[in-house]
Amino acid sequence: MDTLKDVFDFRDFSKVEQVVLVLFSLFLLVFPWLEAGSFVKVVMIQFLLFSLFGMGWNTIGGYGGQVELGKAQYVGIGAYSVALMMVWWKIPFWVSMPIGVLIAIGYSFIIGYPLFRLKGHYFAIATICTSLVLQDIFINWKLVGAAKGIELPIRDHPDFLYMQFKSDTYYFYFIMALFYVGIFYMNWFRKSKLGYQLRMIKEDEEAAESLGINARWCKIKAYSIASAFVAVGGGFLAVYNLYIDPYSVMDLDLSIKIALMSMLGGAGSMWGPIIGSAFLVPLDRFLGSWLGAQKGLIGVDFMIYAALIMIVSAYQPRGIWGIIEQFRKRGA
Amino acid sequence: MIVLDALLQGILMGLLFALVALGLTIIFGMMDIVNFAHGEFLMIGMYTTYWTSLLLHIDPLITLPASAIVGMLLGLASYYCLVKYLLRGPMIAQLFGTFGLMLFLRYLAQFLFGTDYRIIQKGLLVGKSLSLGPFIIDWTKLSTAILSLLAFILVYYLLHRTKLGKALRATALNKEAAAYMGIRTDRMNALAWAIGGGTVGIAGGLLVNFWYVYPTIGLVFVMIAFASVAMGGFGSIKGAFFAGVIVGMIELLFPVFGYLIGWDFLGPHFKFTLVYFAYFIIVVLRPQGLFGWTR
Repeated sequence: MDTLKDVFDFRDFSKVEQVVLVLFSLFLLVFPWLEAGSFVKVVMIQFLLFSLFGMGWNTIGGYGGQVELGKAQYVGIGAYSVALMMVWWKIPFWVSMPIGVLIAIGYSFIIGYPLFRLKGHYFAIATICTSLVLQDIFINWKLVGAAKGIELPIRDHPDFLYMQFKSDTYYFYFIMALFYVGIFYMNWFRKSKLGYQLRMIKEDEEAAESLGINARWCKIKAYSIASAFVAVGGGFLAVYNLYIDPYSVMDLDLSIKIALMSMLGGAGSMWGPIIGSAFLVPLDRFLGSWLGAQKGLIGVDFMIYAALIMIVSAYQPRGIWGIIEQFRKRGA
Repeated sequence: MIVLDALLQGILMGLLFALVALGLTIIFGMMDIVNFAHGEFLMIGMYTTYWTSLLLHIDPLITLPASAIVGMLLGLASYYCLVKYLLRGPMIAQLFGTFGLMLFLRYLAQFLFGTDYRIIQKGLLVGKSLSLGPFIIDWTKLSTAILSLLAFILVYYLLHRTKLGKALRATALNKEAAAYMGIRTDRMNALAWAIGGGTVGIAGGLLVNFWYVYPTIGLVFVMIAFASVAMGGFGSIKGAFFAGVIVGMIELLFPVFGYLIGWDFLGPHFKFTLVYFAYFIIVVLRPQGLFGWTR
């Protein structure tokens, strides 16, 4: 009962945050009826997907303070398990996605156990390495389509079991539902025992251990939670794109984007990952479609994007949420 | 025979990797920053040698100082414009700050030079090889290896035998104490970036003699450099040297073993995977790297 209360209880947020959350939810609900262009819809779906990834990353990277740069491997595991089970055995999405998440959790324990012996930069680079190893294996593994990737069989008519729809609206509502599950879970997580333990570890690992917290085990648990989140998003990516290859779902760029968005929004805060992806996904997309289409300006959109990353990391390492809190403190 | 040949080639390649890793480890040792843009410094070093030798019609070997100077200036510029400010933030902000720099330089190169693959076609050493009995060694690779050894000896001498090196090491060990002793730590940091950029610029200038240059080349090398630096222990010069050579040998020996055993899994397309895997194993067994020290 207490757990349920924690999940739905947003009362400890300020009035402004509550109002913004309600308005934002209403906006999301009516968004498909606003007659927005299909490009805007795609951007919105991307935004929700990356918020989900970011919320997952936030458990280990934000609350736990571990610089984790290998989340793409779990996107890949989620996406590949959905795609492969559908291609090989025609297993519906609703069965294959949970199996994919379980595989991701199991894999994250296997990887996480040795990984969390490491600290600091050694850890950060080791996470990149594990992700790259898995990507290389998938690029060369003929059974799973190697570098060509896998195309999901397209069904004749829209099918709820296999999550194939004609219109983006359904996908939008589906990813929105996942997004809210994520929000409610995070709302519980930040008040849970593990959440407090992780924040303690982030502040001072030795002090946490002296209080009887098993730091390594806590980090592994948070890591597998993060992996589960990301694997769900990966499963969605497979049915949404209907095509996956190791370069699109397991790339280092994807890992870094996930961590970057959370950090830019404000790691370790409830809304940070959402703000970060609300900011970066549209920026990335619109800059790309606006500048990328013009001749002779190839790459300029990424240069602006990169300059922004540099400026934020240099001047406000706590991200956009840090800036907001600064203003709030000044106002109070 | 084929094994010995691969071993030799691996050592030559490894010395190049070590030269790339040298700058990274100096920068890390000084201020605990992992420079994601290091591979992009390499790429710019490559482009510098390529364009100067092409446009001025001089031998690529003579343009090496140009690459070194461009690398140094780049290092200095990134220190004074970006890294100085990043140092105040947490580790993750530092990582992403240099990551932003990496993206910026990569797409700047793409904007300026396009995505074409370029390589130096003619030069004093290009395409010529030395045959030593059964072994055939490319002159370009041999000169790279020799220069890499020279660079290591010079940097080692600088760090351990000169007053400047003493100041550098003091800053690396304890910044505040060094500042109290009258060492201008800000300048020492900048110097580390200049040395780091300069050595990687030279590496780039040598590499373009036998490796294609394109805007995204940096990523391949920066990951190998990361793995070798971490394998050797962050901040350790000796570590970077030996780990670089080990990485080079892994990269070339395992495909040969795979070929001899007839086991496709160890084929050449997995060579970098094995490097990452070796890094993972070494670091898990010895979390401070081969030559690292625990703080």
